[in-house]
Amino acid sequence: MTDPLREIAPPFAHASEAEMARILDFYGIAWEYEPHTFPILWNLEGDVVESFSPDFFLADLDLYLEMTTLRQKLVRKKNRKLRRLRELYPDVHIKLFYARDFRALMLKYGKLALADALTGTAGQAGLPVAPAATEPMEPGLATAVIVLDAVGDGSAPPTSPSRPTAARRRRRRRAAASVPATTIRPDRSENP
Amino acid sequence: MQTKPDLTADVGEILLSEDEIQAKVAELGARISTDYAGKSLTLVSVLKGSLPFMADLMRAITIPVRIDLMEVSSYGGTATESSGLVRILKDLSASIAGEDVLIVEDIIDTGLTLNYLIRYLRGKNPATLRICTLLDKPARRLVDIPVDYRGFTIPDQFVVGYGLDYGEIYRNLRFVGVLRREVYAGGAEG
Repeated sequence: MTDPLREIAPPFAHASEAEMARILDFYGIAWEYEPHTFPILWNLEGDVVESFSPDFFLADLDLYLEMTTLRQKLVRKKNRKLRRLRELYPDVHIKLFYARDFRALMLKYGKLALADALTGTAGQAGLPVAPAATEPMEPGLATAVIVLDAVGDGSAPPTSPSRPTAARRRRRRRAAASVPATTIRPDRSENP
Repeated sequence: MQTKPDLTADVGEILLSEDEIQAKVAELGARISTDYAGKSLTLVSVLKGSLPFMADLMRAITIPVRIDLMEVSSYGGTATESSGLVRILKDLSASIAGEDVLIVEDIIDTGLTLNYLIRYLRGKNPATLRICTLLDKPARRLVDIPVDYRGFTIPDQFVVGYGLDYGEIYRNLRFVGVLRREVYAGGAEG
């Protein structure tokens, strides 16, 4: 069970995530913040070049929760990553929580003004970047899957020059040549 | 100065008319009467939104039933401080150990409150524990809840009436309607 007394503080990358953590605590739903990282894109050498770390894992419900309260372009990118995740890890249950979902939740709790303050870039926390994990990738386990953006949603590639958020920087570090404490790898048989 | 809400004018669309609701309540009451025939049924309603539904449903049930009421606190945290944990504001007035219990809800959306209630009531050792809801809004679901009796599945819109409120108003409407966006947009905070 989540310790109800723990402070809601960093490492949340966005204020809406901290608010969601409070809501989950309120209703006694145990949660972990970004406990697992799922590689979703590899290069020819087998190195992970893109991965996905859902914001919350609700162990009792066997459910991952990803908050997406940012602008539409980033939502499209996240949707693409989510599709890829579902292809590679069909047994993983994940729900994407859009800005409109968060807004509806806040409306329900009579906190609509708070939703406006917490969504979008205004809600991003200027947090220090967490140190990258140092566990090396096991080359033999990283199945070489080259994923082209077949859906063509126009989202930026991982090397986008756009200014990364703290969370994006953190996730990129995780994806690049090193793996966090708990990295989930897909079953080889499920790879295309 | 705050303007008083115009109950009917604030509703942009009637989603479920009074007649539709009453027909569905009668149908649910008949099903429950059949399913629980010969059993010891306790209806547990969750205040305040379920009150009209509970009042109508219990009268549509033709077998002996007991009723009980519960109220739990709702989340109302702020960005800067924790609002703590959900609290039971009104507990059951009688034991449900060994009883067949049916939770009567007005609406299930995220499922967070109901998930908490189910866990709480299971701790009281009922013989069975099932769920009856008038409205189901699956688009908002966070916690999967097995719904045994469902009145209507509704779209992802903010609805009021027939017990459902916005800022404690609109509960006394006899229908379920979609609240106009301008009523709550613009930074309204209840």
